[in-house]
Amino acid sequence: MEKDSVIVDFEGAGLSYDGAPETLSDIRMQLRAGEFRFLCGPSGAGKTTLLKMIYLAHRPTRGRFFLFGENAVEAPRDALPPLRRRIGVVFQEFRLLDHLTAFENVALPMKVAGVNQNQYREDVSELLNWVGLGHRMQAKPPTLSGGEKQRVALARALVSKPDLILADEPTGNVDPAMSERIMKLFIELNKLGAAVIVATHDLHLVQRLGKPVLRISDGRLSHSAGPGGAA
Amino acid sequence: MTEAQTDLNNADAASKTDAEAAPKRGLFRRERSAPLLPEAGAGGAPLTAVIAVMSFLAVLAMAAALIINQSTAAWAADLRAEITIQVKGATAAEIAEGVAAARRVLEDTDGVLQITERSADETAALLEPWLGRGNAQAFLNIPAIIEIKTEPALRADLDLLRNRLAAAAPGASLDDHTGWHDRLAGAARSGQTLAFAVFLLVLGAACAVSMFAARAGLAANREIVAVLHLVGAADAFIAAEVQRRFFILGLRGAVTGLIAALGVLGLAALTARSGLAGEAFLPQFAFGGPIALLLLVAPITICLATALTARLTVLRALREQY
Repeated sequence: MEKDSVIVDFEGAGLSYDGAPETLSDIRMQLRAGEFRFLCGPSGAGKTTLLKMIYLAHRPTRGRFFLFGENAVEAPRDALPPLRRRIGVVFQEFRLLDHLTAFENVALPMKVAGVNQNQYREDVSELLNWVGLGHRMQAKPPTLSGGEKQRVALARALVSKPDLILADEPTGNVDPAMSERIMKLFIELNKLGAAVIVATHDLHLVQRLGKPVLRISDGRLSHSAGPGGAA
Repeated sequence: MTEAQTDLNNADAASKTDAEAAPKRGLFRRERSAPLLPEAGAGGAPLTAVIAVMSFLAVLAMAAALIINQSTAAWAADLRAEITIQVKGATAAEIAEGVAAARRVLEDTDGVLQITERSADETAALLEPWLGRGNAQAFLNIPAIIEIKTEPALRADLDLLRNRLAAAAPGASLDDHTGWHDRLAGAARSGQTLAFAVFLLVLGAACAVSMFAARAGLAANREIVAVLHLVGAADAFIAAEVQRRFFILGLRGAVTGLIAALGVLGLAALTARSGLAGEAFLPQFAFGGPIALLLLVAPITICLATALTARLTVLRALREQY
């Protein structure tokens, strides 16, 4: 991905379900390759919905939205999977598939992309070792602790070397020490070139890391240059 | 190793000692991945059982069509191989004179291969079911029957022979069995159409069941489908997964149904051959390799239709719901 190119570009975007009042309104936002943003706001403000719009679970019902330079509002349905493959998403509730092993969960993005198993086997093993789960590759999610699940989810989000990483309350289910470690990991990945948006309630963490903040309230987005705006 | 990685590795590495091997590869150890959609979500055993029943019925319907075809072909060949000449007369002498005249005409005709004159006793025996033993000859001048075998060229144009017989023996009439043959062929066509209709109904029912099971499976696996979409799976990928799942279930069911149907047909063939069920009820049929191979068409069609229906249902449902 070319540095400084705009990868997420909302212009007056809104989202409503079945004609109901808009959940998100007048979203204006640009994210460039290699940028890091926190997304803060109270519960129900629309953080998760905005992330869903970015990873194309929902498409704006109004306005413009360009993702990696593609018009994501008008793109045909078949054009969306390749765009989604360029995004790694980490959820607070992990969203791992319980009937698959940790290895298979992490390999999922490669498998759906049609990559041969021989090609991704080493990558997946290496990544699971990297997050400290080399000894738990064949374990299924129900047998993993919260921290382990979070690391499997992280590995799954990173395995396809995404251009954009989205994390929705990634530290919500882990202890403070693990939160700190996970945030450090995101910052490292950002240094390696991936753009990152982290939605979080943890304002202390946001202030301590000093990254730019997107603030969302009542479905409307505002920007601030630094942690001062993250109130 | 980065600082963050070190931290992550140290987090709870000490708490886990149950080292689980990474997937291994090797010449004799082939790694098997779990299906992306769990078996329970695709209907599992109930769907396999339903497909087995459908396959069983489809094989029987297909077998009925094949047996009707085989039997009527044999009967038709018998009918077409012979021509019957009936010689009537007011008295036995008149009949005998007519038979002699007809025989001379036949012996003088090119293409007549064999002439068999049925005796009066044999002819009377044909009437016994209706008139009783011994009654026919006592009260009736029973027409004489002459059966001939001909070359196909003569059979193709019998008008000349018919005219010559009429001139030589006015009481003689020629029957090439066309009427019987046409009625038999019509009955066979009706039977085959009915069997094929049953096969189509069974196929339609299998597709409907597959459609229902695919929708139910999709609903049961909603979260899995959402995650697959999230990680970049195209609708076609998800549909292919469902199709593969249904193909396996359908194959199991189809093979089970086929084996059961072949067992029933084998038993029926043995019964027919032994004469236990009466020849009039069960036609003799050769239940050999070619028919068994043809019968494979039914379960294969059911299996493929099940998988294809599931695929199309999922593709449509994904477009509607997600």
